[in-house]
Amino acid sequence: MLQVEHLTKVFPGGVVALHDVSFTVEEGEFLAVIGLSGSGKSTLLRCINRLIEPTAGRIVWNGVDITAARGEELRRIRRQIGMVFQQFNLVKRSSVMTNVLSGRLGYAHPVLSLLHIFSPEDHARAMAALERVGIPDKAHVRADQLSGGQQQRVGIARALMQEPKLILADEPVASLDPVLAHSILQYLETLNRVDRITVICSLHFLDLVHRYATRVIGLKDGRLVFEGHPKELTRERFKEVYGEEAEMVTVGGQTLD
Amino acid sequence: MGTTPRRLVLPPWLAGLLSLLVPGAGQILQGAAGRGVGLFLTLAGLAGLVFWQRVPLLLVPVGAVWLWGAWDAYRQGKGRAASTVVPFLLGALVVYTLGARATELRPQRLITNWPAVRPIVRALLRPELLAYPTEDRIGGVPFQVPCVEPLPEPEGRPTITPTLRTNVRCAAMGETITVEGEGFFPDFEVEIWWQNPIGDYQRILREGKPLVVRSDVRGHFQVAIEVPTTAVPLDRLPAPGQTQTHRVEARQHRPYGTLQPTETLRLVVAKIGETIALAFLATVLAVLFALPVSLLAARNLMGGHWSTRAMYYLVRTWLNVVRSVETLIWAIIFAVWVGLGPFAGTLALLLHSIAALGKLYSEAVEAIDPGPIEAVRATGASWAQVVVYAVWPQFAPSFLAFTLYRWDINVRMSTVIGLVSNAGLGFLIVQWIRLSRYNAMATSIIAIVLVVAALDYASALFRRRIIEGVPVPAEETIPVAELPPVWRRIWQGVPILLLAALLTGVPAALVLGRLGPMPRTAVALLLVAVVIAGWLCQVRRPVPRALAGGLVALPPVVAWLALQVTSGSPAVQATAVLASTIAGLAVVALVPVKALRRYWLPGVATLGFLVLFLWSWRLAEVDLAKLVAKAPQGVRTARAFLTPELVVRPTEAVTVSAVLPVPCGVGEPATVSSSGPQIVLSATCGNPGDPLVIRGLGLPPRTDVSVRWVRADGAFLRVKENCCRTDQRGNLEVETRIHPLLEIHPELGQTVPGRVEIAWKQAVGGLRAAPAVRVVFDLSLVTLLMALLATTLGSVVAIPVSFLAARNVMGRTVLGRATYQVTRTALNLWRSVEPLIQALIFASWVGFGPFAGVLGLGMWNIPNLAKLFSEAIEEIDTGPVEAVTATGATRLQTLVYAIVPQLIPGFLAFILYQWDISIRMSTVIGFVGGGGLGQQFLAWVGLDEYGKAATALWAIVAMVWGMDYVSARVRERVIAGAR
Repeated sequence: MLQVEHLTKVFPGGVVALHDVSFTVEEGEFLAVIGLSGSGKSTLLRCINRLIEPTAGRIVWNGVDITAARGEELRRIRRQIGMVFQQFNLVKRSSVMTNVLSGRLGYAHPVLSLLHIFSPEDHARAMAALERVGIPDKAHVRADQLSGGQQQRVGIARALMQEPKLILADEPVASLDPVLAHSILQYLETLNRVDRITVICSLHFLDLVHRYATRVIGLKDGRLVFEGHPKELTRERFKEVYGEEAEMVTVGGQTLD
Repeated sequence: MGTTPRRLVLPPWLAGLLSLLVPGAGQILQGAAGRGVGLFLTLAGLAGLVFWQRVPLLLVPVGAVWLWGAWDAYRQGKGRAASTVVPFLLGALVVYTLGARATELRPQRLITNWPAVRPIVRALLRPELLAYPTEDRIGGVPFQVPCVEPLPEPEGRPTITPTLRTNVRCAAMGETITVEGEGFFPDFEVEIWWQNPIGDYQRILREGKPLVVRSDVRGHFQVAIEVPTTAVPLDRLPAPGQTQTHRVEARQHRPYGTLQPTETLRLVVAKIGETIALAFLATVLAVLFALPVSLLAARNLMGGHWSTRAMYYLVRTWLNVVRSVETLIWAIIFAVWVGLGPFAGTLALLLHSIAALGKLYSEAVEAIDPGPIEAVRATGASWAQVVVYAVWPQFAPSFLAFTLYRWDINVRMSTVIGLVSNAGLGFLIVQWIRLSRYNAMATSIIAIVLVVAALDYASALFRRRIIEGVPVPAEETIPVAELPPVWRRIWQGVPILLLAALLTGVPAALVLGRLGPMPRTAVALLLVAVVIAGWLCQVRRPVPRALAGGLVALPPVVAWLALQVTSGSPAVQATAVLASTIAGLAVVALVPVKALRRYWLPGVATLGFLVLFLWSWRLAEVDLAKLVAKAPQGVRTARAFLTPELVVRPTEAVTVSAVLPVPCGVGEPATVSSSGPQIVLSATCGNPGDPLVIRGLGLPPRTDVSVRWVRADGAFLRVKENCCRTDQRGNLEVETRIHPLLEIHPELGQTVPGRVEIAWKQAVGGLRAAPAVRVVFDLSLVTLLMALLATTLGSVVAIPVSFLAARNVMGRTVLGRATYQVTRTALNLWRSVEPLIQALIFASWVGFGPFAGVLGLGMWNIPNLAKLFSEAIEEIDTGPVEAVTATGATRLQTLVYAIVPQLIPGFLAFILYQWDISIRMSTVIGFVGGGGLGQQFLAWVGLDEYGKAATALWAIVAMVWGMDYVSARVRERVIAGAR
């Protein structure tokens, strides 16, 4: 269980990205984070695995205080948390295989891994992960030769290598077309339902939220303004999150209202 | 010209009038501030140039630009600014005219001085490559010049076989004598040589060409020659009544056997090897230093804290300053520190490379995408793992490309660094030109051209592969393969077994040869056992290619290193063998059998790399101990070059003196004045050798003064060496004895006594600019104009040539393709000759001075610009061309409307880039007589005038850095404007 308590982040320069955000995530949930761009979704996700240092607040995960962890302990926590990014964040000039293997770095031999030497088990895991996302034939292709959807699948395979208990997905489908978006989210859904990995995913389009999420939180100007089931996200609550001028738009369908 | 906030609406005539009074005023007030300021600055600059060169006639075009400014303001008032073509052309006229004057451009010299350079050009077509070895017959006989009575016995004896005789034993210069020889090769050419008393030889000429006589069938010849008038240098001519011994020689060199490389060729090849090795060493070491420096100069790494940001600015400034000073200038500075020789040159190359690579690498670091770094961090990777997996793969392609680029430049630089550091090929070239050995010079130039062009080509290929994107080799992981059954492993393992045995065995054998028989057997058995054991224990992990390759190279290197470092105690030898064995074991253990075929290339490359590095180290005479021992000299050199001489106080010499009659009784005794500086002697007169105390009172405190004996006729002598300095009250005391110099002899008519004098320099007047400043200012302008003319020359010629070297222009016909290939090859070869060498040749043609510099730089600019231009032409978008052609336009119209507009931004950017480089080169072209700042810098260093040299140095830094900045800004505008 992930408990976020009074999480606050103020950037140097005075920008308040998060203000006193508190919520809980049960194991096995698919939590969607919604809000305008700049509302703090990315910051929130990055605070959870401490890519960004929170200014105040506590994050406790299965009894371990993430915010207080340091050095080796932090790395051990991080390796159990996989992350998928909007821009995929693959190393472009490296092969797909190397990118996927880099997901295992938290577990691999500290020195041998620097020489690109992984155990056969890791290699087998990597191939299995690639098969799972459907691109085993691309293993030795350079990462930037792949299409956007394929690159994101490599990103997911990389996260899978960590055998994570929690996956953070920062707008994983924002750069993809609607069909690909669904296919990527289906992978995440499978990981969530079958592998019982908790997923926290920030999303823009509400029909994706309705279709895949089990719970939703909404951020506005760094504050938590909605917490509940996707069905509870009515038009009024929607405007609370996105502002008065917002209109609900679906992906590949008609407007909801 | 958009509207800006402060825009007045003026009646046009008023605007015009304002601009007439103050150039640019009208434009500024109407809102076109940039235009107005630009106009003002341009006029100021042009007027300044005109006054600098004192050509009043050129005030006419300047005035015309002034008037145009008024006209433009008027037109702007009416809503439409005037075209800038006119002032641009007028300004160019002024600048180029003055430039031609300042650089002493005299194109007619190219024709009148042609005979001076004709032998050089001819020699370029006939380099000394191969020659037959010769057997020689040389006969000589001494000869006296001129004749005197009585004629002394000559120094030196005539040869016995063959013999040479003269009809007379002496003669005057210019007189004709007969020379007869016997015992020479029959029916073969004979050269007649003359040796002067100093030992220098010169060939006897007839009608300007070397005299050649042919011996008859008996080996005998006879010829009449003139005693050469140029035999003896003017300062060594004999005094009247004296005679000097010369020597007449007759030489025959008869070839036999097969063609062999001449000594010249051998020397050149050896020196080329040296050149490449030095460049290699400098590049490799520079990479090591530049990497950490680049991290300090990368804004994305150093931006966080104010202290790191300060460090960032400091490092960036240091990089810019060091880069502004050309390698050759650094070589001179280092030569002051560690002496002339290859070490100074290597240090200079190293320093400049560190700065250049540091800047390039830092730009690559700044371009790294933080996304993948974030992603790898998020998996829980350690810092080292993040660097290896996310930072390095992004950095590596730029790293390799920049390093190769710098390697190219270093090879070229290395060929000319000898001009300054007395080592290497450059030095040879200069010597050969001085000795008129043009064929030898041709050999070296052709060798340089071929080697540089070949290396260029190779590295361009390699760079293209990198850009096209072969994944960085280091990180290819090899998929796991199933281990085959034992019997197949044994069979497949045979080649690797042999290889490992070879690699460990060869160095071991070198060492084992020195051990006794018993230890030898034991070690050999041990080796065999180890190799087999390792092979049997093959680890199943896949290994990256480069690592395996490096391991393959390790055993012999380890052994070689150990042997180098020590010289033979058995313990160390055993260690060397052991280390080599362990390395071999690692090879055998880690290299998967199947992949052996892929590893040999990286292995050989690593091996070659290490051997080359160690060999270069030796060649460069790297002497770290010398650096340390001479550190104080280094500090002094640094301080000397960091303190430019900008202001001086004019000084005048002041003296106080006291009369000292020697012996007593002659002349007036000393009188003491009551105030101001005084000199007081302990005795008013005396005899030579009497003790004397000289006191100076009221002198300027803590000043170096010189105390001297001064005789009546003005002859003087210092009382004491390394003396004297006044104390803080301005007093001085010297104990000495009266010097016999002061003694006067009344019987010889001398009546005026000598004096004791204290003299020092006193500052009069205030600070004023040192004369060196004016000289440096003048030469800086000359240097800039040199670069301008050279770049213009290069651009003008390069534009038409570049079309011949553009594949899409030359077409697919046989003639077209042939022309393209020929032009491309010619340009590449031409580019390989450093501008300094080209300027050297031009200096022989048109004489030393900036004209030679302009020609040398210009000639070098042509192929460089032509290559860049042709690449721009090849990248033309065919779309607009098609569109214009489709309208029915002629080829010329297509050129003007569709092709030229696409080319202009690219061409301009390249011209600016080449202009940058030309400025840098023009600062050093003076080293070979090309005029400008470089020549003066060299001269001042030669005279130990380090303060003045520092002034020139700082001017160079300011000029290059400033121009760099300006041209970068202009290039940005040009490229941005093209978008």
